[in-house]
Amino acid sequence: MKLKPEVRQDRPSTRRVQGIRGRVQLFSIKSSPFTITMSLRVLVGVKRVIDYAVKIRVRPDKLGVVTDGVKHSMNPFDEIAIEEAVRLKEKKIAKEVVAISCGPTQAQETIRTALAMGADRGIHVEIPAKEVEKLEPLHVAKIMAKLVEQEKADLVVLGKQAIDDDSNATAQMTAALLDWPQATFASKIEKTDGELQVTREVDGGLEIIKVKLPAVVSADLRLNEPRYATLPNIMKAKKKKIAKMKAADLGVDTSPHFEVLDVADPPVREAGIKVEDVDTLVTKLKDAGRI
Amino acid sequence: MAACSVVRRLVGCPRWHGGQLMRQQVRRVVSTQEPEILKHQILAETTVSRDHLTPELALHLITPACHLWRAPPHLSPFPDPFWAFYWPGGQAVSRFILDNPAVVKGKTVLDFGCGCGASGLAAKSAGAKRVTFNDIDEVAMEALQLNAGVNKILVDDMTTTNLVGSAGSPHQVVLAGDLLYDSKFAGEVLTWLQQLNRSGSLVLIGDPGRFALESHPLKASLQCLAKYELAATTLLENSGHPQAFVWTFS
Repeated sequence: MKLKPEVRQDRPSTRRVQGIRGRVQLFSIKSSPFTITMSLRVLVGVKRVIDYAVKIRVRPDKLGVVTDGVKHSMNPFDEIAIEEAVRLKEKKIAKEVVAISCGPTQAQETIRTALAMGADRGIHVEIPAKEVEKLEPLHVAKIMAKLVEQEKADLVVLGKQAIDDDSNATAQMTAALLDWPQATFASKIEKTDGELQVTREVDGGLEIIKVKLPAVVSADLRLNEPRYATLPNIMKAKKKKIAKMKAADLGVDTSPHFEVLDVADPPVREAGIKVEDVDTLVTKLKDAGRI
Repeated sequence: MAACSVVRRLVGCPRWHGGQLMRQQVRRVVSTQEPEILKHQILAETTVSRDHLTPELALHLITPACHLWRAPPHLSPFPDPFWAFYWPGGQAVSRFILDNPAVVKGKTVLDFGCGCGASGLAAKSAGAKRVTFNDIDEVAMEALQLNAGVNKILVDDMTTTNLVGSAGSPHQVVLAGDLLYDSKFAGEVLTWLQQLNRSGSLVLIGDPGRFALESHPLKASLQCLAKYELAATTLLENSGHPQAFVWTFS
């Protein structure tokens, strides 16, 4: 993969984005030659995670968090990824959107949500409930890469990270395994001839890159606002097809590469004190060695 | 049943004993609700809408203005109210019939999986001789009668029998609006529709490009008759499919 800076002045869209927020760079990422069809098959990863609103509790054995009886839902960044894929379909850039989830039996509910949002079909790679927390980004990336091969996909859209383990690695690893270009932290995706122009959220501004297809894109928070799955969409989604398989069926070994030694709550903040006046405050600060 | 007869008089529907008997049998199995209660519930949970591809027809539908629109399925008083939405495939078939009335004029028509009944009602208003409305959902039959009443159209014939696979069809035209959403069921339906086509019926299939049809081998034997862009509100209930198509066997 080569990064080649391009001449910025040639790109009116560059200037437009520049006006919004900070520094803008323009790069072109080359990938292997590939003739692109007009409409893409898009694979989207959807992970079942503990709902963002739930207060996380550490398990008594200090090796994980409590998941039993806790509300789960789709990882919010994956919702953004599905929404973007469905929008690509509605713009007729994509021809088919396939939602993929690696997880326990209940991961099917997450896939159903994706189907209700507009995905055409689902693939459930079943991971036994006990092994779910030991599933690593590399395993998921290998599964995704295999499915890309099987499904002859042209584009993979993933959430930039899952809110449970915050790894932020699956998209990058998937791209590496496939030897495809990657456009991570996308806040805007536009299709040009056989390429995607992706605006990325980087430190201090936005970066616009062009990636040749096929490619892997990871969705950042500002890419879109996901739609709500309404009753009619949920009803039709109940009938959409979900293929079931195991990681072993894809030849992927999911034995863990690392071991969790300890999971701890964040340190509890000590309570403050109230002081009568400024003099007391100064004295207290002097005593504490702060001033 | 008294209220039912009243509505029937309003609709101008002649008594049809076969259908009546069938509906009673089905009711014992799937529902204990009386038709008048069902009708009240339908009226309470839907609004009359013309915001679709066939504004000529007013239909009782669950729209974004109804509370059920955003409700989870278990809060719906009706199990799977497929009849409460005007599916894109149904809209396409109805639009096609209204624009090309010659297709059904003077002919016998079967509206298979009729749901709200829009396509059959379109056929009736385009001059079809006799339309048989068919849906396995008993509630759909009540909704259909309400919709017929709003549009002052006479319902001649209805049945809740599952017709898939039944040999031969006395109908000259068979309408199948948006039924191909489940891969397994789609396979059975397409094979049956092909048989009907071979025995001389004109089959009109409406579909927005759902996977079950797109991936089916019989798709290759279909010919596209029309393509429609869907209304913005239809898109809300049909994520991912901005168009709908009418297909027939070539």
